[in-house]
Amino acid sequence: MGKRTAIVLSSDDDDDNDNDFDFDFSVKPDLNRFNNPKSKSKSKSASVPRSNPKRSKKTRISSSSSNSRSRSHPGKNVNPFDEMKLFCEDFGEGFSGFKVSAGYRRDNKELWLDKYKPCSLVELAVHKKKVEEVKVWFEERICITKDEYCNHVLLITGQPGVGKSATVHTIASHLGAIIYEWNTPTPTIWQEHIHTTNAGLRYLSKLDEFENFVERIRKYGLIPSSLTEEVRKPFIVLIDDLPVINGKLSYGRLQRCLDLLVQSVRIPTVILMTDYGRSDAADYASKCWEELQTSLQKAGACKVAFNPITGNSIVKTLSRICREEKLKITADQIDVIAKTSGGDIRHAITSLQYFNLKSDLKPISKDATYSGKVSHKIDHLDDGYSLPFGRDETLSLFHALGKFLHNKRDTENLPSCDMDSVFLKEDFTRLPMKMDTPERVLGQAHGQARPIADFLQENVLDFLHEEAMDDAWVVASYLSDADTLLTSLNGVLSRNYEAENIIQSTAASVAVRGVMFGNRHPLSSRWHAIRRPLLWQVEQSLWRNKKEMVGERSIAAYNCVNLSELSTIAIEWRPALKWLGSRVSEYNSPRKGSIGGKMVDNNCNMERSNEPCDDDEDDEIEDW
Amino acid sequence: MASSSSSSSQGYEIPWVEKFRPTKVADIVGNEDAVSRLQVIAQDGNMPNLILAGPPGTGKTTSILALAHELLGPNYKEAVLELNASDDRGIDVVRNKIKMFAQKKVTLPPGRHKVIILDEADSMTSGAQQALRRTMEIYSNSTRFALACNTSAKIIEPIQSRCALVRFSRLSDQEILGRLMIVVDAEKVPYVPEGLEAIIFTADGDMRQALNNLQATFTGFRFVNQENVFKVCDQPHPLHVKNMVRNVLEGKFDDACSGLKQLYDLGYSPTDIITTLFRIIKNYDMAEFLKLEFMKETGFAHMRICDGVGSYLQLCGLLSKLSLACLTAKAA
Amino acid sequence: MLWVDKYRPKTLDKVLVHDDVAQNLKKLVTEQDCPHLLFYGPPGSGKKTLIMALLRQMFGPGAEKVKVENKNWKVDAGSRTIELELTTLSSTHHVELNPSDAGFQDRYIVQEIIKEMAKNRPIDTKGKKGFKVLVLNEVDKLSREAQHSLRRTMEKYSASCRLILCCNSSSKVTEAVRSRCLNMRINAPKEDQIVKVLEFIGKKEGLQLPPGFAARIAEKSGRSLRRAILSFETCRVQQYPFTNNQVISPMDWEEYISEIASDIMKEQSPKRLFQVRGKLYELLVNCIPPEVVLKRLLYELLKKLDSELKHEVCHWAAYYEHRMRLGQKAIFHIEAFVAKFMSIYKGFLIATFG
Repeated sequence: MGKRTAIVLSSDDDDDNDNDFDFDFSVKPDLNRFNNPKSKSKSKSASVPRSNPKRSKKTRISSSSSNSRSRSHPGKNVNPFDEMKLFCEDFGEGFSGFKVSAGYRRDNKELWLDKYKPCSLVELAVHKKKVEEVKVWFEERICITKDEYCNHVLLITGQPGVGKSATVHTIASHLGAIIYEWNTPTPTIWQEHIHTTNAGLRYLSKLDEFENFVERIRKYGLIPSSLTEEVRKPFIVLIDDLPVINGKLSYGRLQRCLDLLVQSVRIPTVILMTDYGRSDAADYASKCWEELQTSLQKAGACKVAFNPITGNSIVKTLSRICREEKLKITADQIDVIAKTSGGDIRHAITSLQYFNLKSDLKPISKDATYSGKVSHKIDHLDDGYSLPFGRDETLSLFHALGKFLHNKRDTENLPSCDMDSVFLKEDFTRLPMKMDTPERVLGQAHGQARPIADFLQENVLDFLHEEAMDDAWVVASYLSDADTLLTSLNGVLSRNYEAENIIQSTAASVAVRGVMFGNRHPLSSRWHAIRRPLLWQVEQSLWRNKKEMVGERSIAAYNCVNLSELSTIAIEWRPALKWLGSRVSEYNSPRKGSIGGKMVDNNCNMERSNEPCDDDEDDEIEDW
Repeated sequence: MASSSSSSSQGYEIPWVEKFRPTKVADIVGNEDAVSRLQVIAQDGNMPNLILAGPPGTGKTTSILALAHELLGPNYKEAVLELNASDDRGIDVVRNKIKMFAQKKVTLPPGRHKVIILDEADSMTSGAQQALRRTMEIYSNSTRFALACNTSAKIIEPIQSRCALVRFSRLSDQEILGRLMIVVDAEKVPYVPEGLEAIIFTADGDMRQALNNLQATFTGFRFVNQENVFKVCDQPHPLHVKNMVRNVLEGKFDDACSGLKQLYDLGYSPTDIITTLFRIIKNYDMAEFLKLEFMKETGFAHMRICDGVGSYLQLCGLLSKLSLACLTAKAA
Repeated sequence: MLWVDKYRPKTLDKVLVHDDVAQNLKKLVTEQDCPHLLFYGPPGSGKKTLIMALLRQMFGPGAEKVKVENKNWKVDAGSRTIELELTTLSSTHHVELNPSDAGFQDRYIVQEIIKEMAKNRPIDTKGKKGFKVLVLNEVDKLSREAQHSLRRTMEKYSASCRLILCCNSSSKVTEAVRSRCLNMRINAPKEDQIVKVLEFIGKKEGLQLPPGFAARIAEKSGRSLRRAILSFETCRVQQYPFTNNQVISPMDWEEYISEIASDIMKEQSPKRLFQVRGKLYELLVNCIPPEVVLKRLLYELLKKLDSELKHEVCHWAAYYEHRMRLGQKAIFHIEAFVAKFMSIYKGFLIATFG
């Protein structure tokens, strides 16, 4: 079996092969990919050279470090080995009663995720436009001579589970291209490290290896093995997993490395990056990713942002799976599952599989016993949706919020038979609530206090009566109390679970009960979309602006001789410079967008959040 | 049913939490929705990747372990890898150990997979979690993952995306009571109903806490009644605190204060008093406005205590604020 | 170049306002030696100017050649190394920086930079080991730990490094740090002093000032010299020759806040509150500090109120300002204040007019 030319990619799939592989066909490597008829056309053939781990080991040693698993990918060797594979397969099937490795059997014991992986463009749940965009990009690069285009890097960003790598694989198989994946190599364990340093070899960090890989790719490209005479299939390089970075220095290295890649690589390359767009205040790492994206774009990469998958697409896919698996799940339930996934189709399929285990259990768990002394007739709007699965900010949280905001009450006060009852002034009495105690609802919704307070603050004003200013004041004051209580979470004692628990519960209770108590004249119930807090976007923009200002300060734009405070910059320098803008040509121009203009000018982030709505021409506008 | 029920009182005694830990999924108390699904998995196999999230003591680790036992039976030792927070779980370990385990070939009946259990997954660094996601995907044919954590928010999104998220909620009082009765019968513990109620109160939805308290009371006093329970568990007696609250509501401020003084003199820390007070207020049947104000003031007092001012004066101040709230609201 | 910078006095002799302070400083600084100093006073009163002039007095014109750089520090904090990045302004004799930019890790910065300066002590002309000056801004925003570490390092390294601290209010600086420095209180210039400065600038620029014009600018500036000069320059750009009744325009965010205030006075309802919230977000996004927003909003509202309500409104403004400091998200508290005001005002209107 031919010599391998060294270099290029490493793929972790190769590690699938055990070191005890031998040629006597009794061990079946991970044939599932080849067995599954649907995935035959998938070009995950980066996993191919299974039959030659020994040789690969040899080449490994000859490369720079004993740890880097750079092996070549004899993509062209697919075919003769394919035949061998098929042979193994047949042989193996005969042996199925005997030694079977876990997971070899393909009778319904795989994850539905794998089983229903899309293998044609039609099956992708991603929006058609996006798929087209990516496909066109590939076609341009592959089918036409490359010299015309200056950029060969495509950046695909999106939430987890939104179909990024599925799209790339499907399109590649559709176009007949072979994908070479970069996968992070296995790290060194301590003993190995000692051994290699003693042997005099330098330790390579994962970032180093990535840099080496990038160097090789851009200098040498991919060298196909010349074993077969097949028509050369085009290659696509896929970078799925950027190395973990800690701190500014490594971030700088990664950025430079990627910039180099973008500018000088000759093969179509796809980089997949995951967005963490749904968090409250994005932390430092995710902000880094955003910066990285913008710098890559500046360097010349094309960017395609994948949006969360629309509810309808998810429902379609889930229904298809239901049909194929012959499940007895109603359309309502499918709807619910689709909604709880939050635009993440991978999660939706997993949830479906999980849910199906006992599909006759209704997702509705009504609480028949209220903690009050009187029994109420359950209102038909009061669904008691308590979904014990699904990600955060899902249906159950929204249902809980809906209950709090709508604030349904009984129409009359029932006589209290408690001896302890205290008669309150009219101002302070309220009709009994038409739902379970708020604490129980909160417990079922599994919500944390901070997002609940933010959601309530954002939405409560919609539910107040127009004239009820006093109500607004009461509600606002309790929310302010809740915020004060939550701050103590940042203190020293927050490491104590007990204290944290109490703070969380108190703050959540105060916020929720305050909103319910304050809203004395709730509007008659009509359908209100519960919005995500604008506050989160404001905070992100604020963080960005602050960074910008710090940057500006260092350009000495404001004061040649000494540093100003940030607040002074905001309050005095910037407004003044706006007026004097024409005269200070030697300084950077002041920021565009004036106070009093539309919000959209300043918060470019807002537009990003509006995208999912805008892109769905075929599907309805969803309110996540 | 529960495992060995021998009540040996001499020599080394296994903690009842371990002794009566269910080994079959069907025996797990509470959270029926989740547990029934896990049962189906136990019969059919083909477990999806799971994240179990919920407060402590609700049965997450037990469920996973029971499920793994039922799925894999005699192969448990080879086919299950357990890593919890006390193990080394940095990025390197994740990649290496877990990967090597995932690659290992184990003979299993069809439809069964190797299981990797990661307990207390929310304390893994995000780097380690990142390293995990790729492994999860690649080896999904042969290996399935089960993660247990307290808050799912600490698990990074790509991993949440690859798993089914199962939420466990606090156990209800009836459920805890049911299990306590079984243990009490098996261990032949003399008790009175109020004693069990007291145990349930101190447990606050946490089965582990309830069993530990039961065992401690039995071992210490050989008789489970309210007094003993509160001696052992050392929380302010809820009735005492309830009386305090009632006095405040009725306007008898001096009585309330003397009640507080008694508690304080007994040596309870202000945090304990506040914790019990909060629990009582949550369950006390009073007017909505009063409950809201009481909770708010308790929260603020707790904040001040956490800042360092845990004095008797602060607690009295709390009581007075509560009384003030009552006064403002009361009809003339 | 802006007039603020162009006409900034470079030496202690040329200081127009605070010349008494300048003379004191001159006497203090002999033989290139000075004690640790703490300058405090309201913003725009001239603290930085005095500091720069002082440095120039000590080190000569070399102190003015400054270089801006972003320095990266790797700090070893026990089990891990922290990487920090800060902007510093340095010359051969001094370094200036804002340690509070580092957030809650500011104490590492303070320790590191002083240690670094101690290592590289310059040699002065007489062959003695000289010292460098470290200018720290916004010390009142330093965390408590940073101030504690500051006081230790101040003592230990005082041979090689002199500290000049600058802040708005000395009450937030711990007693220990204050006692180790010579406190220089820089008061806000009086209005006639501002007028003198404006007239001086006007003469230098060859402008004709109508009578009372400078006085009006001085009045509007709120006794901040920087603000006054900026307004002056803005007026020049807007319209010259000056007319008697020329409008002196306020800063744009101030105008925006007075718009908000008139919105609030016009209508009081949850809907209006929602709109006001949107406008408040605008301000906050542009990094206007929430305390400033609240203060200015109160000021604008008080202007339009009758005396009966003023004390109540002030009470609630103070209450919510305190809450804002305790809490995390400022908008909750500003909104609560606006809601309270609307509620009070609406009640007042109903009571008066039925």
